[in-house]
Amino acid sequence: MPVVEVDPDELRALAGAEDKPDSELKDDLFSLGLEFEGETDDGDFELEFAPDRLDRLSVEGIARSLRYQYGHDRGLYLPETNDAQWAIEVEGSVPEERPYVTGAIVRGLDLDESRLESLIQLQEKLHATMGRGRAKGAIGVHDLAMLKGRRAGDDDHGPATATKTITYRGVEPDGDRFVPLDDDSDRSPAEVLETHPTGETYRDLVDGLDYYPAIYDDVGLFSFPPVINGKRTEVDEGSRDLFVEMTGTDQWTIDRMLSIVCYALDARGGRIEAVEVRYDDRELLRPDLSTDTKRVAHDRIERTLGVDIPGTEVVDLLERAGLDAEPSGGDGSVRPGAAPADGRADPSGLGDDAPDRDAFDDALSYDVEIPSYRVDVLHPADVVDDVGRAYGFNELEPTYPNVSTVGGRHGTSRLEDAARDALVGLGFEDLLNFHMTNEEALFDRMGLAPDDDALGAREPPTITGPYSEAYTVLRTWALPSLLMVLENNTHRSYPQDLAEIGLVAGVDPDEPTGVAEHRSVAGVVARTDASYEDAKAGLQAIARAFDTALSTPPTAHPSFINGRTAEIVLDGESVGVVGELHPNVLVEHDLELPVAAFEFRLDGLR
Amino acid sequence: MKLPETQLALLEAASATDPKTIGALTEEIGEDTAAVTRAAFELAESGLLAVEERVLEDASLTEEGERYRASGLPELRLRAAAVEAGADESSVEMGRLIDRSDLGGPEVDVALSNFARKGYGEIDGGMIALGDAPEYDPEADPEAEALDAVGVGDADAPDDAILDRLETRGLVERTETTVRSVTLTDEGVTALMEGVEATETVGALTPELLTSGEWEEVEFTEYNVEADAETVHGGKEHILRQTANRVKDVLVGMGFREMEGPHADADFWINDCLFMPQDHPARTHWDRFALDVAPMDDLPADLIERVEDVHRNGVTTEGDGYHSPWDEDFARAVALRGHTTSLSMRYLSGHAVGDLEPPERYFSVEKVYRNDTLDPTHLLEFFQIEGWVMAEELSVRDLMGTFTEFYEQFGITDLEFKPHYNPYTEPSFELFGRHPETDELIEIGNSGLFREEVLSPLGVECDVMAWGLALERLLMLMYGFEDIRDVHGTLCDLDLLRNVEVVY
Repeated sequence: MPVVEVDPDELRALAGAEDKPDSELKDDLFSLGLEFEGETDDGDFELEFAPDRLDRLSVEGIARSLRYQYGHDRGLYLPETNDAQWAIEVEGSVPEERPYVTGAIVRGLDLDESRLESLIQLQEKLHATMGRGRAKGAIGVHDLAMLKGRRAGDDDHGPATATKTITYRGVEPDGDRFVPLDDDSDRSPAEVLETHPTGETYRDLVDGLDYYPAIYDDVGLFSFPPVINGKRTEVDEGSRDLFVEMTGTDQWTIDRMLSIVCYALDARGGRIEAVEVRYDDRELLRPDLSTDTKRVAHDRIERTLGVDIPGTEVVDLLERAGLDAEPSGGDGSVRPGAAPADGRADPSGLGDDAPDRDAFDDALSYDVEIPSYRVDVLHPADVVDDVGRAYGFNELEPTYPNVSTVGGRHGTSRLEDAARDALVGLGFEDLLNFHMTNEEALFDRMGLAPDDDALGAREPPTITGPYSEAYTVLRTWALPSLLMVLENNTHRSYPQDLAEIGLVAGVDPDEPTGVAEHRSVAGVVARTDASYEDAKAGLQAIARAFDTALSTPPTAHPSFINGRTAEIVLDGESVGVVGELHPNVLVEHDLELPVAAFEFRLDGLR
Repeated sequence: MKLPETQLALLEAASATDPKTIGALTEEIGEDTAAVTRAAFELAESGLLAVEERVLEDASLTEEGERYRASGLPELRLRAAAVEAGADESSVEMGRLIDRSDLGGPEVDVALSNFARKGYGEIDGGMIALGDAPEYDPEADPEAEALDAVGVGDADAPDDAILDRLETRGLVERTETTVRSVTLTDEGVTALMEGVEATETVGALTPELLTSGEWEEVEFTEYNVEADAETVHGGKEHILRQTANRVKDVLVGMGFREMEGPHADADFWINDCLFMPQDHPARTHWDRFALDVAPMDDLPADLIERVEDVHRNGVTTEGDGYHSPWDEDFARAVALRGHTTSLSMRYLSGHAVGDLEPPERYFSVEKVYRNDTLDPTHLLEFFQIEGWVMAEELSVRDLMGTFTEFYEQFGITDLEFKPHYNPYTEPSFELFGRHPETDELIEIGNSGLFREEVLSPLGVECDVMAWGLALERLLMLMYGFEDIRDVHGTLCDLDLLRNVEVVY
């Protein structure tokens, strides 16, 4: 989950809550879903939250949510957008893997160190979340004063309203050179990927393309998305007017990322100015701050929250969530009527106490207008959630659902428990080991080869590109896990009688998932005088307990001593192996005493 | 009067006038000291014997003491050398004397300091002169005599001050032993005069004793019933299994039925059905354990189509889809399940046990696999408690009521519901509770009402609420374990598992 660092004083100032003590502020944040994780060395709050409200990736966004919560602001807010003076032209050379671009200009900013930091943080956090590590969307912020646009009319692009243009195009890896951020010498894009730390980090995103994405102004290349910006247009505390561009693999995604950035800069007093985006076949005016509308039935809200809420209160709650709500009756009409004395909108015109109030509310629905920074709203249920949050979920009285069902355990889990009880009754210490292990533990250390004809010898399901050498496959048998427990506990007192019932698996193309899974019962008896008898005695007791006929015809298994190894046959079916473990296996596991062992399929006891 | 054999023997061996030590009596009776001592106290208890305790001091020579006893005390050897060299006339060089007296190593210091202490003479500027006591008799040095006396075992002979000195010099060790001696009391004498018989005592009750009826005649040797017996461990169900079973008991009691299903499953069941966009960070290579097996063919085609549609376009006309790619091949890829919600999807879809009609409650407590950094609280595989309730109409309040009941069974009250986000539920809540011991507010689960985008493709037309939490978290909360690796996996500590308190 994302963590945002926020200066609490700045948050208080922006949220209009200068006098809030830290403890109350943390409580208010918690009720928004922002969890206080700790403080940085500078005293900033580290706030963690689920990645739905990405508009809260900045102090400005969190403050906006608090202002709604405190009632300082109500309803939907739409920033003013000035007419476009700049345009982004998209050229045919743009790599088809990254075809989309968007942009906006924000003027009149008064950036200081902390505001700049907040903007950089927002950019980085958006990259990590919506931008999917810059692959889906990457942001570049530039000092507009450093950009030089070609005048309209310099080209034959028709009647454009914007007068200055920059271009989004492709550049050959060894093409135009530029000085990237945090660097002093000019490099080609390919050189940036080779030599610049940021270039190395993001080279995978463009590796293999014939043309790399690049943004040019009249002077030349100034941005190499999604990798790095040029140094020429670097933003500092003196920058007043910013050019924000985003490129990516999905227009909606970068447009919404742009909305979030524009709202944050608007909260800092910036004036938003539109940018024209000129594709070959269409023109877009960006940022797209237009709202979305969801129709939410009153009944759905009451059902989800489990309480009766007057329609008037719903509108109020939605406005406190930063949304606008237009109530309409069941027939879509709104009854005119006198507003209640407190000035709330009352769609029924009936007043809260009117006798037919509930009936009216039942047929009521709301057309809810949702601002563009709310990337999380997909469905009316998401609006209902907002109502609940504004209402305060913790205000709701818990009720136990008034439906009756019959509980019960699954047969397999009951069988497993019964077998475990039997083992424990025989004095076995029940163990729990990982299902993931490695081939060395399963085979080599047990003196077994995967293609032997023996229990445990089969192709293990293998993890594609494993992260750790210790965990590369699912175990094909359970005895190796018990041997490792013995190995790690040689300093503990003997006898050590250990058992485990757990999952084992093998590759099996006949299974729907390609993996055969079953539960295995394994036991080891480690003591100075352990012998075949001990293992067999335990087996006999279990077989008797489950009323299955046990026979143990001699067999061979590479992990066991020849002549002291038997097949476990339960009710005529071969289900496992029992015997004295081979000295090679014992020595391999640093054991200095004999170990008798058995392993068989749990379903053999059915 | 009848007495056990040892007591009788002791009583007969004791005298009314001559105190005898336990040691002497032990030899006389021929039983072991512990048995005789116990019998003496038992007889004292019944007033037949008087037991007197005396603390005896004994002294013995240390290794150094033995050496000096053989070779002479170093200061005496130095003095003898000095006399021989004529130091009673004029000062003699110390070096010469030391050579002559054959002193070595630390003995030199010992000789010099005691030479001075005993006033044999003066040591000045490396020269030694004998003093005014030339008639000093080296044969009658009290410390040398005491050393001899202790050496032959006569520790009582030297006087205490001398022994103290030798102890300080590290030549003698003194020890204290308690000696118990017994005398017959008047009652004891009377009893003996009246006649005492031995009762027969036996060590073990044998089948022969029982069948012959002889058991009626015998007394049983008393055991030291307070002593610790040999340690046995017995078998024990694994602590995490015990906790899992307790959870299962609670859930079955609340009307939940248990689910079962594959650990390795198609991403379709693990993620796509849950309306997890395919480019969700949790679905990247780094978070999941993909398996190197063929993609899963056996998936319901109509369901795949509905799930893809909901990812792309949202549900009906009122919802939106994701602006993320959706690839059927990815849905068919097999991985180890990252949550047991894959089972919930299989059951809700009707593909596990047939179509379900509300109301239903289902649960599982089973393993899930997530690539995480191994540390004291995180394992790559752990148990997830998964539960869901299906009913015609469920509200957030029903969800809260269910969890309040559940967690109360584990001593966790005052639940707090933090609004949360999951791709598959709305509203969603993280559940927080107070640690029963530390009172700390900790996260104990994640919950919510399944979204229509999840339920609608599965063909579920009523409400379903669900929750999940890690069993290990509950265990650590209940037991205060600090490192889960001691419990779960091949690095487990057998002693911890053997000695852990049972759950009930």
